Amino acid sequence: MRQAPLSPQMTVALPVLGAASILLAWQYLLPLLGVPAYIVPTPTAIFGVFQRNFALLMDNLRPTLIEALAGFVIGNLAAVLLAVLFVHSRVLQAAYFPIVLFFNTIPILALSPIIILIFGLGMTPKIVIAAVICFFPTLVNMIRGLDSASDNEHELFRVLSATRSEIFWSLRLPRALPMLFSSLRIASATAVIGAIVGEWIGSDKGLGALIIQATFNYQSDRLYAAIVLSSSLSIALFCIVVLIERRVIRY
Amino acid sequence: MPDAIEARQLDVGYGGRQTAVKVLTGLDLTVAAGSFLSILGPSGCGKSTLLRVVADLLDPLGGTISVLGETPHTVRSRRDVGFVFQDSTLLPWRTVRDNVRLPLGVGQRSLTRKIEDRSTELLELMGLGGLGERLPHQLSGGQRQRVAIARALLGEPKLLLMDEPFGALDEITRDRLNDELLALWRRTSTTILFVTHSIAEAAYLGERVIVLAANPGRVVKDLDMRPFKQEGNRCKREDPAIVAAMADLRAALERAS
Repeated sequence: MRQAPLSPQMTVALPVLGAASILLAWQYLLPLLGVPAYIVPTPTAIFGVFQRNFALLMDNLRPTLIEALAGFVIGNLAAVLLAVLFVHSRVLQAAYFPIVLFFNTIPILALSPIIILIFGLGMTPKIVIAAVICFFPTLVNMIRGLDSASDNEHELFRVLSATRSEIFWSLRLPRALPMLFSSLRIASATAVIGAIVGEWIGSDKGLGALIIQATFNYQSDRLYAAIVLSSSLSIALFCIVVLIERRVIRY
Repeated sequence: MPDAIEARQLDVGYGGRQTAVKVLTGLDLTVAAGSFLSILGPSGCGKSTLLRVVADLLDPLGGTISVLGETPHTVRSRRDVGFVFQDSTLLPWRTVRDNVRLPLGVGQRSLTRKIEDRSTELLELMGLGGLGERLPHQLSGGQRQRVAIARALLGEPKLLLMDEPFGALDEITRDRLNDELLALWRRTSTTILFVTHSIAEAAYLGERVIVLAANPGRVVKDLDMRPFKQEGNRCKREDPAIVAAMADLRAALERAS
């Protein structure tokens, strides 16, 4: 039998209660079970890092935020532009899309040292890695989105003698927006991953560098605090994308 | 005044000229300007394909066709043709009013005449007065088709092509829209080509009904309905003469299937 839907109050309260129960178990149960603090520090210990080392955390958040944001913008913009080019030229798509596919099969961890070799140790390689990791899902989704108008919709525009650019702006692009936003939501998380991976390989600044330093120094509370901050950054980017999506897509 | 449509030995198909699958073969058809023609036929007989050739959405493989005395391309470029699809083909991100105004936003470059923004008037005419700011998903199926008709009428087309526009609607809504369409046709001098699967709808709406047969598509029945109707293409659905004409059309349709 189908369960009755939850009330609006319960829909809000249950996830909060769920998270609180896990935090409580984490705080009190894990030490009782003998899990050492250098492996899993308690939530209060992690929170303590935010109080004690707030400036350090913010200093490391800033470069990661800039790299992730710049990578997000550049990677998605490049993907959208290439998708527009591909849907308007089947020849270009046939010639170069397989190469892009091949490029996508290279693991980002294998590609990152090459990018660092090319661009050096500054922020640029991290931005490039974040951009590369955002690029492919957006490209594929955008090509599908721009091609997703129905035959009848295309015929309607043809009956109206619409030009190619009118078809693009009034039909193809609005049709593609839901798919674009679903890939932007994915990219909001992957851009942060890209920036952090870049920082692991060659940086002394950023959340990625902080994670590596904290791991090697057995500062597990600092490590967990950096993880919480990375996750919060992804969530913040995700929420911004969702807010923009709600304003843009009303149907 | 030239005929609205004059087709001679028209061959239409899909695919290249050499490998094409022919849907219509050797079709001869003349449609007088200002008339209401219903087109009946089994699935795959080429009813919709014929509309697509008239609208310049598909090139014929052979034969000749003139629309309003000119090529389909010229007529389409001049926006003298309106098309209503079976699914209303409303753009979901545009409000009802903006959907009706779509012809003002696109295709203006090829246009020599000026199209007025008659969206308010057309929305009123189609009984959509208070719904202009709604989005398509907030409308019923019948309301969506009314919007599609209003959009097709915005450019004041001389020829309105309707491809099973009421096929997905319930019977009551369909009957109501039939009456509204007839009232609209009487008020304008628009020629209407109306494709339908419903014999009753074809007989009620058309001044003339043609039945197409499949494999290959050709006209197997051409029935002038005017003798059965009063002035202005008026009739009652249950009129014995209309019922008899429907039986005649049904027999032709059965032979064609």
